[in-house]
Amino acid sequence: MKIDRNNILTILAILVFFLFVWWGSNHLTAYAVRVWEDTLIFLMLSAGYNLINGVTGQFSLEPNGFVAIGAYVTAILILTPAQKESMFIIEPMVPWLANLHMSFLPALIIGGIVTAFVGFLLGFPVFRVRGDYLAIVTLGFGLTIRVVSNNTITITNGSLGLKGLPTYTNIWWCAVWAVIAMIVIMRIVDSAFGRAMKAVRDDEDAAIAMGINTLWIKQIAFVTAAFFEGVGGGLLASLITIISPTVFTFFLTFELLIIIVVGGLGSMTGTALATVVVVWGSELLRVVEQPMNIFGLHIPGIPGMRMVVFSILLIIMMIFAREGIMGQKEFSWDWIFNKIKGKRA
Amino acid sequence: MKRLLSSLVAVAVALSFLASASFAKEIKVGVVWPITGLVAAFGQSAWKGAQLAHSMKPATKDGCKIKLILLDNKGMKLETANAVSKLITDNHVKAIIGAITSSNTMAGAPIAEKNHIPMITSSATNPLVTKGKKYISRACFIDPFQGKVAAKYIWNNLHAKKAAVMIERDQDYSVGLAHAFMNAYKKLGGKIVAVEFFQSTDQDYSAQISDLKSKNPDVIYMPSYYQELALFSRQARQYGLNQPIMAGDGAEAEALIKIGGKAVNGLTFTTHFDPHAAATPLTVTFVKAFEKKYKTSPDAMAALGADAYFILVNAINEAGGCKATPKKINYYVRHTKDFKGVTGVITINPKTGNAIKSAVIRKVKDGKFVYVTTVNP
Repeated sequence: MKIDRNNILTILAILVFFLFVWWGSNHLTAYAVRVWEDTLIFLMLSAGYNLINGVTGQFSLEPNGFVAIGAYVTAILILTPAQKESMFIIEPMVPWLANLHMSFLPALIIGGIVTAFVGFLLGFPVFRVRGDYLAIVTLGFGLTIRVVSNNTITITNGSLGLKGLPTYTNIWWCAVWAVIAMIVIMRIVDSAFGRAMKAVRDDEDAAIAMGINTLWIKQIAFVTAAFFEGVGGGLLASLITIISPTVFTFFLTFELLIIIVVGGLGSMTGTALATVVVVWGSELLRVVEQPMNIFGLHIPGIPGMRMVVFSILLIIMMIFAREGIMGQKEFSWDWIFNKIKGKRA
Repeated sequence: MKRLLSSLVAVAVALSFLASASFAKEIKVGVVWPITGLVAAFGQSAWKGAQLAHSMKPATKDGCKIKLILLDNKGMKLETANAVSKLITDNHVKAIIGAITSSNTMAGAPIAEKNHIPMITSSATNPLVTKGKKYISRACFIDPFQGKVAAKYIWNNLHAKKAAVMIERDQDYSVGLAHAFMNAYKKLGGKIVAVEFFQSTDQDYSAQISDLKSKNPDVIYMPSYYQELALFSRQARQYGLNQPIMAGDGAEAEALIKIGGKAVNGLTFTTHFDPHAAATPLTVTFVKAFEKKYKTSPDAMAALGADAYFILVNAINEAGGCKATPKKINYYVRHTKDFKGVTGVITINPKTGNAIKSAVIRKVKDGKFVYVTTVNP
């Protein structure tokens, strides 16, 4: 890595971010910290998702499956053998898994690696199709994972799920992993691989004609996304302390899809902005569901109102900013300096 | 124009915050229930019950108003955890009621436990919900008890020696309850002759039915929800499988009779409460008020929602009314003894937080739910 102005500024920005995390973990309310934890985990998930959907342009719908795999692997590894024994009441767990126990970091990494491996295997069949067909095939994968986790009772405890997971996840785990994910993914996007991915997105046939091995390029995006979605799943599992096949439904994928579309398909900094907007937005909008008195007018609380408001905001956004907050552009230091100097980028 | 608009918005927001900070002395109680989403019907029903209970007892003995703050969890775990966290740190509630399903309650419970805020769930029946927790209690019985009641009823009243069990594999409720039933039934000396599995979305039960016919049980125990029960009953009767069917509290919905028609006639199930079998004086007044306000009989969710509220108010009164601290409230919730609630006489075990109370057995007769008997613990 070169030591130039931009890199120094990036490092400084990351330091400022960690300073904020440190300040926040001491001064913010537990609730605010919690929502930030959600935000950072979702940032990681949607950054990975954007790599495959936005940068490589492969419209796929599999993240809930990847998140589920990561969550299950991590959960199985961090539960103690005694906990597992008391939880598996239908059928006992397979012995070699039941006695496995390790700390959080290796569990997360193994969760990520297993997910990446599944993603790698999955890539071969699914990338034989393109476009809408790819979306349908990958959607099927998400559903399959749910059926599998319901029926492999000796591994996942079936529909009873895994309960009482230790809560290791805190703001620091989320922040460090989110930063790692952002750096790795943005470096990939800036590399030769990233340019090849964009070429695949813009015109796959032209990319093939230029000698790009499109299957491998797609695989790189897919496996990277799978790894971070797996790790994110592990963090999520330890945050909510209970996982079952119903946690990771299509709604999770849908939420991530909203985030990357709002942020701009292909823009990582846009994704970061959109994650904050979407996750915090849905929490802050709880205000509209509470009973209110405005100028003596009593409005009773209407539950579900925030979803209505949120949808309206999304519609307005899609009308006036069809490409999302950032479009395909990225925030960059050069852009800022050009602005300051009054030049056009 | 822009500036005017934004300042107007700012004023409106400020006013709404001012308005929410009331001046009378009050005790805030958080409620986390699914009002939207897949299990919204349960949450809405419970909220109706709790609101009615609130209008019946809106204040403590020494005059503090009780303010219920409802947050919707959409029936999702992550949302439940966020909502519990928000209630505790932003709204500074003294106690929390919620959530409907066991898995959602378990997602919120660690946060309440960590902050020493009492949480009382109206209808989470999974035994793990309160296990090892000091601040989580419940107003309903637990699944092992419900399974035991069903086993006893089948053994003693139906005199059935051989039972078959139908398990909905992807519902933790069904798996847990079936498991509890089988343990209790075997202990009584009964024999499980068949265990059949199915999935929530199944429409066709012919494979299970033909297998059940060959095993010839005396009774079929199917802890599942009303749609599946109605569909299964119809098909079973059609194929000539006429053994009595017993179910759990998931059977209780008008839709069971609508979909099942004549086939569900005689279907028996264990549940929390019957509006017409007055368990306590409060049952009578509550049911009357409910029918007057909502023009329909309260279901178990509404009654349990009300009971969670009544138990909590009782505990707040014991803990000193206006001066009650969360710790004290929790102590008195856990030491609830012979409390005459809507669903019966409730005692909470101080060590486990589980309610000790009777279960009701109801059955379908001529297109209506009728009361059969009450089983005491």
